[in-house]
Order: sequence, then structure tokens, then C-alpha cells
Amino acid sequence: MTQPHATPAGRGGAPTEEATPAGDHQSEIDWIAAERSPEFRELVKKKKAFVVPATIFFLAWYLGFILLAGYAPDFMGREFIADGLTVGYALALSQFVMVWGLAAWYLRKSDRVFDPLAKRAAERALESTRAPGEGRFERGAAPVTDEEVSRR
Amino acid sequence: MTFIAADVNELALSIFGVVVALTLFVTYLASKRVSNATDFWAAGRGLTGVQNGFAIAGDYMSAASFLGIAGLIFLFGFDGFLYSVGFLVAFLTVLFLLGERMRNSGKYTIADVLSFRMKQRPARSAAALGTLSVAGFYLIAQMVGAGVLIQALVGIDFTLSVILTGAFMIIYIVMGGMLATSWVQIIKAVLLMTATIVLTLFVLGEVGWNPINLFTDARAESPEGQAYLEPGLFLSSPIDTVSLGLALVLGTAGLPHILMRFFTVPDAKAARSSVMWAVVLIGGFYVMTTALGFGARAILGSGAEEAVGTGGNLAAPLLAEEVGGGAGTVGGDLFLAIIAAVAFATILAVVAGLVISASGAVAHDVWSNVVRRGHDSEKEEVWVAKIAAVGIGAIAIAIAVIGGEGLNVSFMVGLAFAVAASAIFPALLLALTWRRFNTSGAVTGVLVGVISSIALVIISPTVWPGPDGEGGALGFYDLANPGIVSIPLGFIGCWLGTVLSREERAERSFDELYVRSETGLGAEVATGLTLTGRRTGARAAAVTTTLPYL
Repeated sequence: MTQPHATPAGRGGAPTEEATPAGDHQSEIDWIAAERSPEFRELVKKKKAFVVPATIFFLAWYLGFILLAGYAPDFMGREFIADGLTVGYALALSQFVMVWGLAAWYLRKSDRVFDPLAKRAAERALESTRAPGEGRFERGAAPVTDEEVSRR
Repeated sequence: MTFIAADVNELALSIFGVVVALTLFVTYLASKRVSNATDFWAAGRGLTGVQNGFAIAGDYMSAASFLGIAGLIFLFGFDGFLYSVGFLVAFLTVLFLLGERMRNSGKYTIADVLSFRMKQRPARSAAALGTLSVAGFYLIAQMVGAGVLIQALVGIDFTLSVILTGAFMIIYIVMGGMLATSWVQIIKAVLLMTATIVLTLFVLGEVGWNPINLFTDARAESPEGQAYLEPGLFLSSPIDTVSLGLALVLGTAGLPHILMRFFTVPDAKAARSSVMWAVVLIGGFYVMTTALGFGARAILGSGAEEAVGTGGNLAAPLLAEEVGGGAGTVGGDLFLAIIAAVAFATILAVVAGLVISASGAVAHDVWSNVVRRGHDSEKEEVWVAKIAAVGIGAIAIAIAVIGGEGLNVSFMVGLAFAVAASAIFPALLLALTWRRFNTSGAVTGVLVGVISSIALVIISPTVWPGPDGEGGALGFYDLANPGIVSIPLGFIGCWLGTVLSREERAERSFDELYVRSETGLGAEVATGLTLTGRRTGARAAAVTTTLPYL
């Protein structure tokens, strides 16, 4: 395997199965270069800028609700808008709205921003991999059948 | 006919028969198509986002969701609804952190992702341990639940009910693999949603089409009065409530049978849209648990507290009987029978999902990669998976039958979520996001997560009930839900094992896993399998990949 980064220095001794990484590794691609490409960095940066705040927000909103249910049952039992509807139930419903809203927002964002970026990052990785010698990767031209996908 | 009680409900039995016949027909179709390991474990990665969304909903909403939450709300009001919220919010963790990355990085099991850049044998063994613990606890709880419910609703003896449930589950998997399992789950999701919508409409009709009346009528029927609409009747310890909430919201993202579903779609986009469909279905369902639970209180009244049984599991079926016209009427009998059949389909779909994930851990992880070190053939792997499915099913049946209906399973579902949140979730998340994370970190984290969850449940008041709500083997520790302690312990285990060792290859191959998980470059391709045929040629390529993958 010509995997540049997967040939540990000083491996020397008889390589056991144990020392071999999982069989699905694809040595044709220069993954380190792919990870350092500006396209990939942009994808990761933009994705983090959405996912990290969104995750903090939903965990805070949810844990806040649970903490109120645990420690402020009186507040949660107060009437909200109509007799019978409590603050607690209204906040519980807000969790449903939050889940649907955030999920829909994430899907929209993925279609418009993350997917095109991911595609560009992947194309860039393939281009830079093929650059040294065209035709070296003929094998890759045909769709990989299930049997060809290396078994572990 | 000693196994069948005198009061067997023939109507329910026939509706059962129709549902089971439908699932067996689907399994028959699947059995003609499933030919290789990708078909068997990942349904050829040919499911659409919508199909997988329904299947996730079918895989996830157990009888505990359907009958359990309705029962908890009936008995304890607001606190029961806390479960509904937690079970749904959990899917944001799945959507944001794991769903697409699982699809891009994995093949058949969560161990594929966890062990991607690690030493195969220790990392896979750890992942398999986590998977088998979660699936095992969950499976036994479901099997015992199935026996109790079918006995109560249809009149078939507990032992026979458990054996039948186990037998169908094994048939789906051995004959049709993940393709059959997925369609059983889709059928179940459609049945469950339809039945719940109809029941909700009838309940709303009874309270004058004003949902607020559900609460005021329920309050009037509860001896607790206004407290019925407030938190605290069931979950009396605030710290325990928080602990439970954490385990639900992080545990779902560590349930192997849910994560495995992401391998059944062609790409990350379909994985994402399947979560969207799942949250629409699951969210819609959990909103309707309001009508089932509060509605049962409002309509059945406090007089039904005896009849709904332990945990209130029979509240929803009794409610269905009541809104259908009452006991003894044609409508009442029919509604009860339909709800009983839906509950049965619900259990079948969940146990099938659990067993196929456990069979993956045994055959793909332990047998193929740990025992045979990757030298077995694909055919052998699938055969071992089928044998494992039969074995796991048989063990689950045996434990459920020997333990009997008296087996206390109430803590087992909680334990499954605790192990998933404390052992599987931390290790998976760190494997995908932390470059330094390595084999010893993963093994330590999973072991600490599994052992601490189980140990904390064993010393908890659930297992050692004491007088006046006190209890537990140790006086100072009285949490029923271990999450708040065991989840941080799982993360600490991952961190400690990592910093105490150095594994350069794991760090170097992080780039590959990172780029692959985020872009889908190098991800497993679909075979184009569908229930009725196989997409071929250009069409297969079109649905499988948007990128010129190698």
C-alpha cells in the first residue's frame, strides 16, 4: 500500500493483523492534503459555526426545562393563557417546536451551504490526488461493486 | 389448548394474524432479494430518506413509548409527558452530531466507525460489548413487556406470547435481514401513527374539540387536583429527573439499533432527510400522547386506576375501547383489538431492530474481525449473523420465559439508555472529532461507561427498594437513573485512557476519517437494492452518489 501517512515509522517487525488499520481505508487519496485544503477548512468552519451554537442552544433549552421541572414545580404549574394549560406544558410544547425548527433549519442550511462545500472539498481532494500521474487510478473509474469493496 | 386462556380475544387474534401475515409477506419478498452482507445488514443502502425516516420511527417507538407513556401520564400527569419531550429532543443530538457521519464513515455496525482508525481487535471488542449490553437489556425488557401485554390484551399465555414474538423476530432477520426488518418497521410506523391519529381524534371529539378541556377534565378526575398538571408526582427527586433527561437526550445518539439504520440509505443527504422524517413522525406521535394520557384520565376517570395495571400500560387500550363505544360493544371490541395488534406490531419492529444490531456485533465485529481477523468470506459472515440472530433470540426468549412476568424490567430500558449514553455515545463522538483519541481511550471509555452504568443501577433504590421511598444498597447514593454520574465517567474514561497512551497511527488516520465523515468521500456505496427489485446501471449510480468516488 502506498498510503503515505499509514506507514508508521519504525514498524519494522512482522506486521500482525492487529497492527493493520481497518480494511476500508482508501490509500489512493491523500487525506492529509484533503484535510488541509481551503475547501475542507471552509466546510468545517461553516458547519461548526452552525452546529456548535445550535447544539448548545438545544441542550440549554432542554436542560433548562428539565431543571425547572425538577426544582421549580410551582412555577411550572402556573396557569398560562388559559385555565388548565400550565407553564410547564407550554414549555414542553416549545421543545417540540424547537426540534422541528432547528431540524428544518439545519436541512435548509445543509442543502444550500454545507453540501456544495462538501462536494467541492471532495472534488479538490480527488483532483490533487490524481494530479501526479493520470491513469494511475483507472480502477476508480468503474463503480466499485460490493464484492470489490475490500473485506475487513 | 392449555396455552390459550378461556377469555382469548378472537377479534384481536385475527387482526394480529393480518398484521403478522403482512410482515411475513414483506419478509418473503425480501428473502428473494437479500444476497450479500450489504443487503443483509444495510438493506443494500437502497432505502430512501422517507422510508428510513418511517423505519427509524418504527425502530425507536417501543411499547414503552406507546403504552408506557400513555400509562404514566394517566397515572401521574405532567411527569409522564417529560419522557415524551426527552425521547424527541434526543434526535437533535443524532441529527447534528452522528447521523450523517455514521453514514459516511461506517459499513454495517457502529464498531466500523469507532474502530476505523484504531487497533481492530480491542476497539471492536469494546464496541461489541457496548452494543450487546444495550441491545440485551432493551431486548429482554421488550420481550417481557410483549408477553405481559399480549396475555392481557389477547388472552394468549405469557410463555407462548414471548415464544411467538421471538419466533417472528428471528424469521424476519434470518429470512430477510435488514431489508425485511426495515419494512416491518415501516409497516409498524404507519399502523402506529394511523391508530394514534384516529384515537386522538375520537378523544378530542369527546372533550368538545377543545384540547384545553383535556387538562381541565383530567384535573377534575384526579384526586391530586391541580398537582396532576404539575411536575413531581412521579419524578419526585429533581436530581434524578435531570439525570434521566441527560440519559434520554444523549443515550438515543448511542443506541446501536438506531445508529445502524443510517447505513441503509445511499448517502448523507438521505441520512439527514430520514432524521427529518423521523422527528416529524416521532414528534407528532409524542404530541398525541397528550390526548392518550390526559384523555385517558379525563375519559376513564380515576376509577380505572386498578384496571390499567402496573405502570398504567393498559390505559391506551382501555381508552380505545371506551371511545369506540365501551366494553362489550362492537366498536369497543374492535378498537381494543386494533390497539392490541398495533402494540404487538410495535414490539415486533423494535425487537427485530435490536436483534439485527446485536447479530452485527457478534458476526461482523466479534467473529469476522476479532476471531477470524478478517479472513472469513462474506458468505460465512452472513451465515454467522443468522446463527447469531437465532442464538440471541433464543437466549432472550429463555430469559424472558424463565424470569417470567414477574421479572422487574422497569429499570432495564433505563439501563439500556444509560449504557448507550455513557459507553457508546462518548466513544463514538470522540472517535469522530478528537484527533488524539485512540484505542486505549475507546476501550477504557466503553468499559467505564458499561460498568459504571450497571453498577450504579445495581446499587440504586430501583433494585434495593427501601421503606418510605428510601433505599439503595448505599445510604448516600439514591439515584434511580445513573446518567448524571455515568455519562461524565464515560467521557473521563475516554480521556484518561487516551492521555495515558500514545498511538501515532490513530492520530495520523484521523485525517481520513475526518474528511470522509464530513464529505462522504470514500463512503460505502449502495447496491441499489429495493424490496421489489434492484436498481441497476445509471439509476443506481444516480441514487448512490453525487460525487465521483473512487
